[in-house]
Amino acid sequence: MSGPFLHVTSADLAAVAPEIVLALAGMLLILLDAFARPARRAFPYVALAACAVANLFGNYPSGSAFSGAIQASELTRFVDLLALAAVVLSVLGGGALLERDRKDQGEFYALLLWSAAGLTLMVKGTDLLVVFLGLETMSIALYVLAAWYRDVPEATEAGMKYFLMGAFASAFFLYGVATVYGRLGSTRLDALQAAAAGSSAYGDPLVTIGVLAILAALAFKIALVPFHAWAPDVYQGMTTPAVAFLSTAPKAGAVVVAVKVLMALAPAGLGVPWRPFLAALAILSILFGNVVALAQRDVKRMLAYSGIAQMGYVAIGLATFTRPALEGVLVFLAGYLATNAAAFLAVAALSGGEREPHPLADLAGMGRRRPFAATVLTLSMLSLTGLPPTVGFIGKLLVFRAAVDAQLVSLALVGIFGSLISAGYYLRVVYFLWMKEPTREVEAPAEDVLSGAAYILAMTAMLVLGVLPRPLLDWARTAALSLPR
Amino acid sequence: MPTTPFSPLGADLLSTLVFLPAVGALVLLFVPDGARKTIQGIGLLFSGATFAVSVLALLRFNPDLVGSEAFRSLMVDRPWIPRFGIRYLLAVDGLSLSLVLLTTLLTLSVLLVACGQKIDRFKGYVAAFLVLETGMLGSLVALDMILFYVFWEVMLIPMYFIIGIWGGKRRIYATMKFVLFTLAGSLLMFVAILFAANVNAQATGIQTFSLLDWVPAALGGAWGLTPRSEALLFWAFALAFLVKVPLWPLHTWLPDAHVEAPTGGSVILAGVLLKLGTYGLLRFALPLFPNATARYTPFIAVLALIGIVYGAWVAAAQKDMKKLVAYSSVSHLALVVLGIFAVNATAVSGAVVQMVGHGLTTGLLFMLVGVLYDRRHTREMADYGGVASQVPVTTTLFLIATLGSIGLPGLNGFVGEFLILGGVFKVSVLWCAVAATGMVLSAIYLLTLVQKVFWGPSTVAANRGLTDMNGWELAGALPLIAFVVILGVYPAPLLNLVKNSVESIVQVARVRMLP
Repeated sequence: MSGPFLHVTSADLAAVAPEIVLALAGMLLILLDAFARPARRAFPYVALAACAVANLFGNYPSGSAFSGAIQASELTRFVDLLALAAVVLSVLGGGALLERDRKDQGEFYALLLWSAAGLTLMVKGTDLLVVFLGLETMSIALYVLAAWYRDVPEATEAGMKYFLMGAFASAFFLYGVATVYGRLGSTRLDALQAAAAGSSAYGDPLVTIGVLAILAALAFKIALVPFHAWAPDVYQGMTTPAVAFLSTAPKAGAVVVAVKVLMALAPAGLGVPWRPFLAALAILSILFGNVVALAQRDVKRMLAYSGIAQMGYVAIGLATFTRPALEGVLVFLAGYLATNAAAFLAVAALSGGEREPHPLADLAGMGRRRPFAATVLTLSMLSLTGLPPTVGFIGKLLVFRAAVDAQLVSLALVGIFGSLISAGYYLRVVYFLWMKEPTREVEAPAEDVLSGAAYILAMTAMLVLGVLPRPLLDWARTAALSLPR
Repeated sequence: MPTTPFSPLGADLLSTLVFLPAVGALVLLFVPDGARKTIQGIGLLFSGATFAVSVLALLRFNPDLVGSEAFRSLMVDRPWIPRFGIRYLLAVDGLSLSLVLLTTLLTLSVLLVACGQKIDRFKGYVAAFLVLETGMLGSLVALDMILFYVFWEVMLIPMYFIIGIWGGKRRIYATMKFVLFTLAGSLLMFVAILFAANVNAQATGIQTFSLLDWVPAALGGAWGLTPRSEALLFWAFALAFLVKVPLWPLHTWLPDAHVEAPTGGSVILAGVLLKLGTYGLLRFALPLFPNATARYTPFIAVLALIGIVYGAWVAAAQKDMKKLVAYSSVSHLALVVLGIFAVNATAVSGAVVQMVGHGLTTGLLFMLVGVLYDRRHTREMADYGGVASQVPVTTTLFLIATLGSIGLPGLNGFVGEFLILGGVFKVSVLWCAVAATGMVLSAIYLLTLVQKVFWGPSTVAANRGLTDMNGWELAGALPLIAFVVILGVYPAPLLNLVKNSVESIVQVARVRMLP
């Protein structure tokens, strides 16, 4: 590393331009909130504009930047767009809800933008310390968002719990990085890959422990069993539009980082059979998540457990780890993002407010009273079940197909067994929406223009990508091809 | 290159056929809930047009093509997800075309009858049937396995809503049971499809999900399956279809679903959905896995024989009209399964004819029970009795449907049952004898039903004011009656239509059955 210590070229800046835009927009929102309170109604639009601008800067060239600490590629662009899409959906769907509860301070939008910036930075990082930087930026913003309704005990509990457990996970991550550094002498993934391939480090217990610690931290962010314990409480207490973000994009980012770490260190350096380890995580998550979700009576808790199971399907793809499986994982994550975000937005729109609990029973009769939001929720339930012609089916098709092609039929069988169980609780939501008469009146506000736009966006994504998945598949393929090796 | 015939609507004929109903459902989205007349009009327009397109398909179809050419006449073949070799491949042969016609006719009938009855949330009801029709037609004409699976699952959700929203008291239990049973079977089939595609790709080096590619590869021995994996694949497919049929002991969802479903739901369920199970066996399970078919034929035949007698026996004990007809379906469909697994041309043509025939007669029976239920809101036979004088038209039609279902010569049920029994006789006299007892029993319980409900003294005062079928209901029922009679007197057109497809299925399935 010759040259001046801080030599930043314009190519470096271009690679992180979306992050810069998002971070600046977040600061702008906070300043506006402090000095131009009346502008609050415009905050959602500012956040949306920030996403649009960030997306405009998303066409940065592939290649390494910041002396190799960052690697921009088709894959990072893919994740950029996922993160922006999640922010857009949360902002569109959340604006009216927050305004109603007088919780529409600029920080909400700022935190979302910062979290997205951290997320994309994390995925771009090839230096594990940059990854950590991104991970923490993303997470700390989410800790604050979890406790957004300070006056609601569940929310403070969620914030506290998420923070404490998240801190644990971060410590694991750092511990893992330090251990790997101690043995292999680098924090850069490309250097680590080269070093791990050397025979002296092969199967070294220190490397194994380090990688497992890193993976555990990521599994915590993804909420895979047994690192899932935070999810139900956090989902329940966190304000729902923020959960629409939390439950989708950060998980996708963490999965991609896990893939990169595995690519660099697993085949040569891990020394222990790591596929069974991931397969075990997948099986546990699918079975545990689905079975426990069956017993839930709160929609958000149910969706938390369902999310654990859904990430179990992703873990099938990780355990398979062939190129088609990784493409499948990316497609699955994109579909899951549209679907799950739509589900949470509709749940928020059909509830009595963010200070209230969200029992399933409150959804009764909503099919008649709020057909639009109820249709969105229905569609997302079908997509989560994996029924065609929704995008959820395409994701499962790709992941299970890759598993079967890699002779991992038993994993695919566990996957479909989980899907069968999941039909039980996903369709129960549909039952409440359309087939059950309400027992009490829930005051749910009418849709505003923005949330209507969010619904239409999400529905289009779920249906159009379910029927004509080719653009998404092609893009995921290019993204997966940009992975090293 | 085969030329794709174009329909008057611009798209190719089979795509029009499949998606026209779905377009109708989409149009309904923009109609206000209360505009019943408009909703009726749109529903009838689109289901009627779909029926017309299916007739057009029949006219354009060339039944003389045989073997691998049989599907050529109306085939549509476009890439869908090209990287995995998943295609948008639609085609019909005589087998699927006869069921396509049954489907479009029954859906139109169901919507006609619905127009004459009081139905809550009418728009959703019509839309659900239109989406269901797209699913059914798609399953019948899709020859790409993934496309087939997509349509197969698309049928599930509208039926879930039809039973769950417009059903009876225990509708939620019934609809959940229906969905979970069906889904359990079909998900297993899904993995089997993926596995078979992998086997095929390794054997031939080509990524494809097309049945037209799979069958020759499987038959030529290129797949090189061990007996164990062939058996596993066969059962994964067969279970999905046998649940749908449903074959004893997988039938337990059926009485619940039938009893709780609204009239139209029962008609379509009995008339078409069950046939998709037997269709799937004929189209996929037998041709792809001939060895496993041969190996497990005795086992499945025994289940079918149990089903024939058990269904009839249980039907005879029912007090609820719909339950009785539902168990009669278990019995009759078991006979169809027996005919299929006899694997000879006589029995299999009989099975196909019986599939169409059962669709018509049982569809009618459910429809007419629905007419009575619409007036009296009870399905207990004891609540009726001697209503023939109040509802002479209903009585007449019910009697014709019953006789058709029993297999009276001159009506369509006879043709199918006779051919099945004749074909089964060639395989095993014992099977034939047991199956015949089922037919005797069916005469007993169905005629008892007629006697208890329509004849005898009128004892229940509430039946005094019973009104007969109205114009809409007649319009829905009469075409079905007409076909029951026509196909009974002159079955040759139907037999000719299915002859070549039956023969090629039998040939294919027998290739390796011989030792």
